[in-house]
Amino acid sequence: MANGLVIGSTYAVVAIGFALAFTVLRVINFAHPDIFMVGMFAGLLPAAQWPALGLGVAVLAGAAGSCLVGFALERTVIAPLRGRDVLMTLIGTLGVAIALQNGMALIAGPDPVAYPALLPRRFLDIGPVALTVRQLANFAICILLLILVSLYVRRTSWGRATRAIAERPDVAAAFGVNVGRICQFTILMASSMAGVAAVSVGTLYGSASAFVGLLYGLKAFVCMLVAGNRYFEGVMVVALGIGIIESLVTGYLSSSLRDAAAFFVLIGVLYFRPNGLFGSYAT
Amino acid sequence: MTALLEVKDLAVSYGAVPAVDGVSLEVPPGELRVILGANGAGKTTIIKTLLGLLRPRAGAMRFNGGVDLGRLKSHQIHMLGIAWVPEGRQLWSTLSVLDNLRLGGFAVADKALVDRRIGEMFERFPRLAERRNQVAGSLSGGEQQMVAIARALVSSPKLLLMDEPSLGLAPLMVRDVFALVREINRMGIAILMVEQNARQALKVANWAYLLETGRIVESGPAAEVGSKQSVQDVFLGGHA
Repeated sequence: MANGLVIGSTYAVVAIGFALAFTVLRVINFAHPDIFMVGMFAGLLPAAQWPALGLGVAVLAGAAGSCLVGFALERTVIAPLRGRDVLMTLIGTLGVAIALQNGMALIAGPDPVAYPALLPRRFLDIGPVALTVRQLANFAICILLLILVSLYVRRTSWGRATRAIAERPDVAAAFGVNVGRICQFTILMASSMAGVAAVSVGTLYGSASAFVGLLYGLKAFVCMLVAGNRYFEGVMVVALGIGIIESLVTGYLSSSLRDAAAFFVLIGVLYFRPNGLFGSYAT
Repeated sequence: MTALLEVKDLAVSYGAVPAVDGVSLEVPPGELRVILGANGAGKTTIIKTLLGLLRPRAGAMRFNGGVDLGRLKSHQIHMLGIAWVPEGRQLWSTLSVLDNLRLGGFAVADKALVDRRIGEMFERFPRLAERRNQVAGSLSGGEQQMVAIARALVSSPKLLLMDEPSLGLAPLMVRDVFALVREINRMGIAILMVEQNARQALKVANWAYLLETGRIVESGPAAEVGSKQSVQDVFLGGHA
């Protein structure tokens, strides 16, 4: 259960990145999971070279690496194709995703690479649950990111404009919102967040792989579909829920069913609520 | 006197289909002008082109001493002092009333000024003050129209573009809205309004244009246009 929250919080961070791109820019950013993957390696680099610098520097490097790839993606694929058919950016970002995966496999090798031990593996007893320091750190980092996103979209002027673009981009533009700039910032924010979460996940499992994005990406995508894109917080809650369901399925049924659980949830929810649990904007 | 807004030979098309075909009009400072026309005549197209949301095929749009609107993006056009009350309100339905008004002042750098203006709006529309934290989508049609108008006023525009403000409102509400339009105009804000409700619109406007299938067919002082046979036939239910 607690383990589910830990993994769910990671799904939530990746899912929010998907949701921001889809809701605000109408872009299905299939490169997002691989931006996450690049962040994992970008954090690994300084951590392996100078382990004394610790998690903080690794996290910053992960964020910077992901942000950089996000920036390149936005300039080359997303911005030129924004406002065109959804399929165009979908294909474009899918191409970037394949390039990132194979490019990284070429550099780092196709097999998983050991991640430096930035945090001890020690257990902590918190009331009835026992979590490792790594799990707790991962959970804390992800939840902090989610809280920051939520505060941003609700409390700041740019955040309100972001939600305004999500619902009515034309009206937002006519009220002085520079839609292109906020869209760019949204992609950079989503990418940087993914980079931070990636370093923390790499530390949690002690390994990094060029193909790690696929698993997180698929789950995160499911979370967004289940929640609908009307409320970002809805996506967060669903992601945490799916993490818990997965860990319950692993514990009580079978670990081989774990990855299927999210898809059963998806089918079930979309059958009864095609716009997702929390509703979606008309596109 | 130079006009605040001057549109010359404007042509806009959707693909190969012309929607607006050689429209010329102007709005002098402080005036309230109305474009009358049936559905599909091209009224909304003119408004959206002025706002930079559609690109003209030909023609010129000059604002406030010659700024060429055709070269600017929507958010830059707004900064010049043009605000919009869109057709069917188009509020941000999942945002609160207060957040909708704040976004109305998004381009105003001085946030204390925005807060003061929002305060004035709440004084003028006490119903909205009561509902400030409700999501805008939960309000009645009339209340939503008040939000849409207040949202446009927060930026303190020089020119207000109003797209069918009376559409879909109860008759009593329609009267309130037109009274409000007149009140805003008396504050010194120039207004270009498009309407189908000719009877009410002609009562408040100084000047009227009649638009038919993308062309202006009549133009003149509101009272004069209102007495024309063509307008009587199309909009005012014959000569009853």
